[in-house]
Amino acid sequence: MVSAVITGISISFSDLAKRYDLRVIFRSVSGEVLPGEVLVINGPNGSGKSTLMAILCGLLRPSRGEVRYRRQDGSIVPRDRWRRHLGVVAPAMAVYEELTALENLGFFVRVRGLSVGLEQQRRLLERVGLDPDRTTPVRGYSTGMAQRLKIAQALLHSPEVLFLDEPGSNLDPAGQDWLEGHVAELIEAGRTIVLATNDRREMGWGSRRVALAG
Amino acid sequence: MWRWLAEVAAVAVKDLRAEFRTRVAINSLALFALTTLAAVSYTIGPYRLADEDRPFLLSVLLWIVVFFAALAGLDRSFVKEEESHTAPLLRLAAAPTVVWAGKLLYNLCLIVILMAMLVPLFCILMGFKIVMVWHFVGLLAAGGFALAVTTTIVAAIIAQAMTRGALFSVLSLPLLLPLLIFLIQGTTAASTGDLEIFAESLRAVLSMAGIMTVVSAWLFPVVWSD
Repeated sequence: MVSAVITGISISFSDLAKRYDLRVIFRSVSGEVLPGEVLVINGPNGSGKSTLMAILCGLLRPSRGEVRYRRQDGSIVPRDRWRRHLGVVAPAMAVYEELTALENLGFFVRVRGLSVGLEQQRRLLERVGLDPDRTTPVRGYSTGMAQRLKIAQALLHSPEVLFLDEPGSNLDPAGQDWLEGHVAELIEAGRTIVLATNDRREMGWGSRRVALAG
Repeated sequence: MWRWLAEVAAVAVKDLRAEFRTRVAINSLALFALTTLAAVSYTIGPYRLADEDRPFLLSVLLWIVVFFAALAGLDRSFVKEEESHTAPLLRLAAAPTVVWAGKLLYNLCLIVILMAMLVPLFCILMGFKIVMVWHFVGLLAAGGFALAVTTTIVAAIIAQAMTRGALFSVLSLPLLLPLLIFLIQGTTAASTGDLEIFAESLRAVLSMAGIMTVVSAWLFPVVWSD
């Protein structure tokens, strides 16, 4: 079960552009996503879906335009505090392969200053379909198992905003079904979700859409 | 404050745990240190230097071995985060000051291990007599801290660059050279028992460590963010 969010966060972005030297990744991208909604970002390979996600979650600065996180009372969340409110699952982001799944979660609990006990961490691993007693470092995991751990890491602090970049990739059919059900629970609980995908099934979860041109 | 310290400790413990499982940095440090020490002790040994030259020349040799062993092993802390794609999650999970202090603590642990292994062995194999032992230990601590602070910020800078290997030495050398000179001077003084020169050297080392700490703490958030 997903706990209900008391104060959701909406994200609005306007006239976003990103360029690396002379190469323009995208220009004039605008949009908004409210609590309880899923914003789907789609587009061909190389169109900048992951770059836009990185800008929206604060890992990259846009070359132009601005992103705003707004609480339901209208107040703006400062950029340096965004990270407290969001969880991210993305192919370009890995967990620590020398550590076990439980050690990874333990590290993120401590470094985020959370009060999530060992039992809760174990339950979270079970929920995403991983064995909390497994002592193999993540290096020995299949890509699907590593993806499940990345999802657990993103859900650890029950974030108001969730960024999912191709979340179903490498998951088996049972994992994809679980993910779909869990996203539905998150929407129900008022979470704000930004989803970058070209998967037809995942695109169906969206209530808003930003299509990037190649 | 306690929460910040706990977060810093989490980063350092995570790095130490990963390091003790892979032993990449420790093996680099140990291999370089032991190879250099073996070469120096075999070719020079404890008796080939004139008595009046021994304090200075052995101090030079000691710090050269420590310095280059440190350069061989300490550049990995940030490069590894970038190469294994764990840096983005760390950026999202921890405040920049937490990451900086955690990595500094980790590098400090590696330097302590290096010095604890290398310095007594060097003194025994080379017959290096230290008159002011506790003063020398204090100088090692100050020097180790300055070395860790400098290599941590340089490692963070080079992790963002493409030509990582060469850049670490190129950026480290000018920053560490003045430090090295005062550490050699202080070690020579600790060996001969010259308290005045020792105090002067220690003050210089502590000043450099202080300056590098302030500059690094200020610079790191800019380097670590995009």
